[in-house]
This record gives sequence, C-alpha cells and structure tokens, in this order.
Amino acid sequence: MSAAAACAALLQRDIRAVLRSRSQLYSSMLFPLMLLAILGTGVSEGLDPTLVRDGDYASFLVPGTIAMTVLFSSTFSSASYYQDRDCGLLRVLLASPHEPQVILLGKALAGVSIGGVQALAVLAVAAAVPSIDLEWQYGAVGVVLAVAGVLLLALLLNGFAQVVAARIRTMQGFHLVMNLVLFPLLFFSGAFFPLEHLPGWLKALAYANPITYAVDILHLAVYAEDAGGYIGLPVDFAVLVSLALAAFLWGMSRRTGYQP
Amino acid sequence: MPRPSGRGATGFPFPVSRCYHERVTTPAAPATTELAARVQDLSFSYAVPGGEERLALDGLTLEVPAGAVFGLLGPNGSGKSTLLSLLAGLRQPSAGEVRVLGQPPSTALRARIGLLFQETSLDPLMTAGETLWLHGRLYGLGGRALHERIGALLESVGLAERAGSFVSTLSGGMKRRLELARVLLPSPELILLDEPTTGLDPDAEAALWARLLEANRAGATIVLATNKVNEAERHCDRVAFIHRGRLAAEGAPAELKAGLKRDAVWVEWPGFTPALAEEIGAWEGVGRLTWAHPTLHATVDAASAFVPRLFQAAGDGIRAVRIRESTLEDAYFDIVGASLADGEAAR
Repeated sequence: MSAAAACAALLQRDIRAVLRSRSQLYSSMLFPLMLLAILGTGVSEGLDPTLVRDGDYASFLVPGTIAMTVLFSSTFSSASYYQDRDCGLLRVLLASPHEPQVILLGKALAGVSIGGVQALAVLAVAAAVPSIDLEWQYGAVGVVLAVAGVLLLALLLNGFAQVVAARIRTMQGFHLVMNLVLFPLLFFSGAFFPLEHLPGWLKALAYANPITYAVDILHLAVYAEDAGGYIGLPVDFAVLVSLALAAFLWGMSRRTGYQP
Repeated sequence: MPRPSGRGATGFPFPVSRCYHERVTTPAAPATTELAARVQDLSFSYAVPGGEERLALDGLTLEVPAGAVFGLLGPNGSGKSTLLSLLAGLRQPSAGEVRVLGQPPSTALRARIGLLFQETSLDPLMTAGETLWLHGRLYGLGGRALHERIGALLESVGLAERAGSFVSTLSGGMKRRLELARVLLPSPELILLDEPTTGLDPDAEAALWARLLEANRAGATIVLATNKVNEAERHCDRVAFIHRGRLAAEGAPAELKAGLKRDAVWVEWPGFTPALAEEIGAWEGVGRLTWAHPTLHATVDAASAFVPRLFQAAGDGIRAVRIRESTLEDAYFDIVGASLADGEAAR
C-alpha cells in the first residue's frame, strides 16, 4: 500500500471518529464562537483599566486567577477517572468492598483538596508580590472567606466534572465539554473584567453563572476596599453553598458509567 | 459416566455426536461438603449495540466445594468471566440465584473475596509497595501489620527488591506476581482467577501457582477460569466445562477423562460421512468419535495403528492429522462437540 493511500486511510478513520463523537464536534465549533461573543464583548465594553481600583488591573485579576486555578485543577483531577479506567485500576477499586459512591467520593475529595491547595498557593504567591495590592478588607477573616470560597468552588466544579465524566466515554470528549462549559462561565464571571459596566444581557448571564458568586467572594475577601458594586457575601454564600452541595451530591449519586 | 448419543442431532447411527448441550455430571463431591459458592439456574444477559440482548449465561447451575481448586474450562466468550463477576457481586444476574460463602453476593462480602482480573489492572505511576498499600487500606488493613504483610507478600512473590519500583518498570511476569500479591493481601477465603497465567512464561506460571496452592492449603478456595487445558488438569480438583453459557459437564479431571482412550487424534476431513463414521467406529481400539465439521475427533488405544488405517480408508480426503495423549481438551470436545479454541466463533 502506498504512503498516500495509508495517509488517506488514516484521514478517513480520524474524520469518522470525530463525526461519531458529537461532543467533540459541537464543542470544537461552539467554543470559539462563545469565546468571541463573550470575551469579545467583555473586553470591548468592560475592560477599561480606569474602571478597576487605581487602574491596577493586575491586583484585580488575582481573584479571577484563583478561580481559574480551581477550574483547571478540578478538570484535571476529574480526568484521572479516565486514567484509572484505562490502566485498569478503576475496576480494582470498584471490586473492593466499598460502594462505587465511596470510590467516587474519595476521588472527588482528592480533586477538591488538590484544587484548593493549588488555588491557595497561587493566592499566597500573589499576596507576596510587592506590586500587587490586596486590600484584605476583613483582615484575617478574609483568609477564611477566601478558603471557603475556593473550597466551595472546587466542590461545585468537581461535582460537575463527575457528572460529565459519567456521560462522556473518552478523555478528549471530557476535556472538550469541560472547556465548552467552564471557560465561558469563567469569562463572564467577573474574573477578568468588572461586571457592573457590562451590557444587560451579559450581566444577566453573569448572575446566572455560579462561578460569578465564587469570584465575588474572592474579590470581596481579597481585593475590594468595600462591598460597593459587588453582589455581597450573604447572597454569594447562599447561592454557592446551595449549588456546590447540589452539584457534588449529583456527582456522587451518578453511576460510574463503567462496568468492571 | 453417561454419554450422549447424538443420533438425533447428526443423523449418524452411532457413536458420533455433534454439539452436546446437556449437562454431564460425574459423581459430585459429598453432599455434606461445605460450599464456597453455589449458582442455581443462573442467567445473565447484556445489551449490545443495536439494542439486542446477548445471553452470556443460560441457566447455569454449579457448586464449588469449600477448599477446592475449581476450574471453569471453556473457550473465549463461553461465560466464564461473567460468572466470576457475578460471584464477586460486580453484576446482578438476570435470573437465578448466587450464593457465595453462604451468602448472596454483596459489597461487604467482597472483603472475603480476592479477584484477579484477566487484564493487567495496575496504575503504572504507583510503586509496587504503594499498590499494595492502597489495596490494604481499601480492605481495612493499616499500620505496622499492613507494612509487615506487604513486605512478606512482596518477598513471597519475589518482588521484595522492587517494592519501590514504579509498576511501569516491571516486566509482564512481575506485574502479574504483584497482582497476585494484591489478591492475597487481605487473606481472602475465596480467590477468583480469570485466566491468571495468560502471557506468562513457564517459570513464572509455576511460581504463581506455587503461591496460589500455598494459599489453597491455608484454606482458600480457588475458582479458576481458563481455556488452558493443562493448567486446569494439573491444578484443579474439579473442573466444569462451560459452553455457550451453560454447564456441559462437571467433575474431577480424571472422571471427565474416564471414557477416553490413550491417544487423541484430530483429523481435518471435510469429506467425512455417516457411513465412514459407522465403519471407523467399529474398528478395534477406537473409542468415541466426535464430528464438528470439518474436524473428526477420536480417542484410540494406539494412534500408530489407527492413523495409517484411517489414511487407507480416506484416501486423499484428509487435510491434516494431529495426535497427542488424551487430555481434558479431548473430554471437552467429546462432550461439547466444539474445540476450546473455537472461542467467539462458536457462538
């Protein structure tokens, strides 16, 4: 068989695989379009350095960076489900004298812990950088608030990731779906630009976005001088606690999607 | 031992049979024997793409005496692995009853069962020691007792020097031995083995079985699913022939082979006919004939006399002949009417 024929055969095989993977197909098209719509609008209309405190965008970005760290970490931790499945360890875990939910809980708690520690490490590094000006308006309580916000966000994201992992068979598909859902959520969560100057439709989307409330907690705990222009801690915690617990319990109650 | 006549199925006048699906059971273990496992009228089906249901087990009834090394012998796709997963409580039967160690399978009962999967099931990024530590923790072991147990097991499977090595650096045989150590770690009462020696060289296989038989002598019951005749014949007290999800026969290897002559002859002979079967079956020293197109299988007193005579009768119609001492595989072919090597194709 000629090299050209071999290449053609491989091309055909890979195209067929993509066409069969609807999650991959839709995600790869929808993601850039959503990025364009949300990030483009946000940058055009919301990202004016003079709109953040003292024009200090780097300090403004710290809470968003922490949220992004939790997001990445939760996604990668949950992807270990696929690694465990592929190397066969998952079948051994599921054949142990424990319910599948116990195994899932152990893995999810690992994801929450790893995500939490990584995010707080980023916060510690940011706080140590002289040019970054964090207000810590609540003093030591602010640290507790930041830790709580990070852990709640990690719970929410790990729960959601478990739900996705139960439905998507391949790790590639999992990453695509996570990216498709989570990146747009991150972009209009107030992590990268203030929400108050956004157009109404984008602001409405932001308030329907659970990550917005985690970013709001982190802004209030770490960055903000006062509560003006923010959603506020009572609402943030009420929404985030409810959603994080719901997502986590949903994730834990799922079937593993895998038969040892 | 009752023998199938097969007349109705093949039209052959006598002793040739085609495929035999009725259960043949040699004298069982005494009724008073405590059972490690018992399945009654067990069926299991699963969905395949296209919405179709495939029957993996079809009304299987089987008893595994406590303390036995019990073999499940059948080709690939015969339902052996499915049966093991049902015994381990990893699947729920579609119909029938399963009792393991006197109880219905449950998550908690798995603490008393060790399961060695057919495929390697190790995290390549963990060390051998960490692999056993994780397993021990899952089975409620801990502290110094766990570390001592890990050390002793790694020593017994010849991996003491590799305790700190990543699994990815171990050879295939070492990985299998590590998996065996993992199975033995919680001292299971029932050990379920799914083709444990596939891919192992003879030395590694012997070492693995030495350790398994040690556990058996210490009281563990072993259920071995395999399509390796020698392995079942050498190590098992009792063997069940599984064919298309059904029990075709069950008994001690010697009992299952009782009706066989000394030599087994496999003849590839597309032109074989009922008339020839009648003629050959009447020859002196010829035991049972079994025919599954295009293979004629016979056990005979002396292949050295039988084969030349066969060529005289067949002329150039014979494509190939294989001769060896009769084994359980011949008993399997006799009873089931299919080769252990047929696998999924037989379904």
